[in-house]
Amino acid sequence: MSGLDTSPSPIVSVREASFAYDPERPVLKSVSFEVEPGDFVGVVGPNGSGKSTLLDLIDGVLAPTSGTVLINGRATRQYKRRDMAREVALVPQHFALEFDLTVREVVEMGAYCRGADCSPASVAAAALGKLGIAELAERRFPQLSGGEKQMVVLAQALVQNAGVLLLDEPASSLDVSHQLRLFELLKELNADGLTVICVLHDLNLALTYFNRLLVLSQGGVAAWGPAEEALSPEVLEAVYGVRAHVHHHGGRTYLTFSPRAHGQARGRGHVHLVCGGGTGSSLMRELTDSGYEVSAGVLNALDSDEVTGRELGLSMAVEAPFSPIGDDAHAENLRLMTAADVVVLADVPLGHGNARNLDAVQAAVQAGKPVWVAATLGDNDPDGLAVVLSGASLRRYGDEREVLQGVAQWQDGDGGSEPGPE
Amino acid sequence: MVVSLSFGPASLSPAQLWHDLLAGPGAHTADSIIFWQIRMPRVVLSFLVGGALAVAGVILQDLFLNPLTDPYVTGVSSGAALGATIAIVLGLAGGLWLTGMALIGGLATLLLVWTAARRRGRIDVYVLLLAGVTASYLLSAIITVIMIHANDDLGAILYWLLGSFSGRTWTDVETALVAVPFMVVPLFFTKEMNILLQGEKRALELGVDVERTKVVLVVTAAILTGIAVSVSGIIAFVGLIIPHLVRLLVGPSHRRLLLLSMLMGAALLSVADLLARTIVAPTELPVGVVTTFIGAPVFVYLLRRGRHA
Repeated sequence: MSGLDTSPSPIVSVREASFAYDPERPVLKSVSFEVEPGDFVGVVGPNGSGKSTLLDLIDGVLAPTSGTVLINGRATRQYKRRDMAREVALVPQHFALEFDLTVREVVEMGAYCRGADCSPASVAAAALGKLGIAELAERRFPQLSGGEKQMVVLAQALVQNAGVLLLDEPASSLDVSHQLRLFELLKELNADGLTVICVLHDLNLALTYFNRLLVLSQGGVAAWGPAEEALSPEVLEAVYGVRAHVHHHGGRTYLTFSPRAHGQARGRGHVHLVCGGGTGSSLMRELTDSGYEVSAGVLNALDSDEVTGRELGLSMAVEAPFSPIGDDAHAENLRLMTAADVVVLADVPLGHGNARNLDAVQAAVQAGKPVWVAATLGDNDPDGLAVVLSGASLRRYGDEREVLQGVAQWQDGDGGSEPGPE
Repeated sequence: MVVSLSFGPASLSPAQLWHDLLAGPGAHTADSIIFWQIRMPRVVLSFLVGGALAVAGVILQDLFLNPLTDPYVTGVSSGAALGATIAIVLGLAGGLWLTGMALIGGLATLLLVWTAARRRGRIDVYVLLLAGVTASYLLSAIITVIMIHANDDLGAILYWLLGSFSGRTWTDVETALVAVPFMVVPLFFTKEMNILLQGEKRALELGVDVERTKVVLVVTAAILTGIAVSVSGIIAFVGLIIPHLVRLLVGPSHRRLLLLSMLMGAALLSVADLLARTIVAPTELPVGVVTTFIGAPVFVYLLRRGRHA
């Protein structure tokens, strides 16, 4: 399972660990993975998939009902609490302290496990300085904002000086700037040798920051490995039941999601889009998210609509970059259009390069297929090519909402006989 | 403050006090006997009981993370009361017997409540709290039944239940002195107690041996309560109000909180006892009534002023 078999002995080793409060409903089911010193691991998974419980097992607060969890080769149940706190520090998701202690007093508590090894005051001051919150030291903890509390608890955990830092959704109460600051900081600490295991919900943060990701689903490991492999669309669909789209932009990889899974999408009918140059991207997205099967064509490869369509996994008729539409692409376009229930022609600039798309649309009109055409089509038509379009099933739309409504009405049964907005 | 406590129905002048103190307990003047045999044990006893109840209050409030907790919620006091009631009914009211029975009753109750709260080697503090309160009601019901059938001893039982230092002797002081080491015990656990303010789970994460700490602290609080109740009956309010008062003054950090609570508890109870025996002299008020009369307004004042002034 581990990427390198020659790697040093794992610092955290979870072996077929299961946990259940109630034997009928196990929280974790035979989870196995190993983390090497200096790893930077993200743990993701739907609500209730057992992420927080996994952290409690690693920290030894809970003992597995079967299997073992080893820290530095030694089972967690063999550790005294104080010794465990020297090896593993945890930043909990919820932190309740109603009492009027100062931030400094709270952070110093982290030094408890170190006994006489250190001066609590100086390590606490160092941790607060490292996190850039030294000015909070004399403030009263209950009066801090949620984000400040989160940083103080992180400082408390850092004071433990443990080799492994566990974090349970540390970003959930932080605004975007503090989120980024936190993760940059974790990266720095990681570069200094700290092993980090962090539970988080935001899959894009997970992709951006973590080397390795553990994906939990219903108490089991759904994927474990390098971030982009672990968060493949297949895994995400299986785990979260959503359609995931991988985008590459500006040197970053990020994900977007459509609410329905593939299987459900087929149910709502098939819309074929004729677009190009970015005129169809948002409709592609809207229709996909609304559960339609969407196809498009003819598009030139690397055209922005083509890129979007590819990322959304649409069926498309594609021509080579900067080339006029050839016979093969045209035939494929006609085929897709024939299979579609509705055709939409976006406000695409018209020219001889894509004139055959108009022929294809007109063929659909003649076949009696409902066809929606952007009202502004023809504004950018120096050669007057749009004149070929005419017929009873042709209707015009002003903005994309009309298309979405129109298609939905058509789906409901009576939309087909209703006249268009024009 | 200590010196002023030696006033009573028969006043002794400060000079006389000093003279008696220097003369030692061997002197046989009337004043000396009042001072050494009546006044002194009372004052010392109220000090010890006040300190013990306040320390027990701090421990239990912070362990249960419940501000309404007082030393009597563990059921120990009711157990002690039942023990004392039985002693009185059986005609064993002479000093040590009563105290001994009260202590046994208190510790037996602790054992019972403890067993109820123990699950898989862990003490669930909420179950402990509920079991303690339930035990208190049950034991009080039993005491009530005994009182109904104990016409002759009713006065003695009631007098004991209300809490008083009247007629206490050096024997009682000796019993109460047993509490002193138990008042010191929590001072060795101030860090753990501070960390436990964040809840048991967080304390585990930070390396605290939570179960051991709980055992030590709960048993300590129960013994302190048991001793206090066995020598002075049930004195209300000290264990509830003193920890709050001190927390408002110096904050929740335990080293200061415990030490100052001990002193304030001792001071409050000795002043209360002074008032109890002088205000309506020659009769006496139950000291618990006085503690409430002093404590309530002071507490409300401090609560409103807050710690920020």
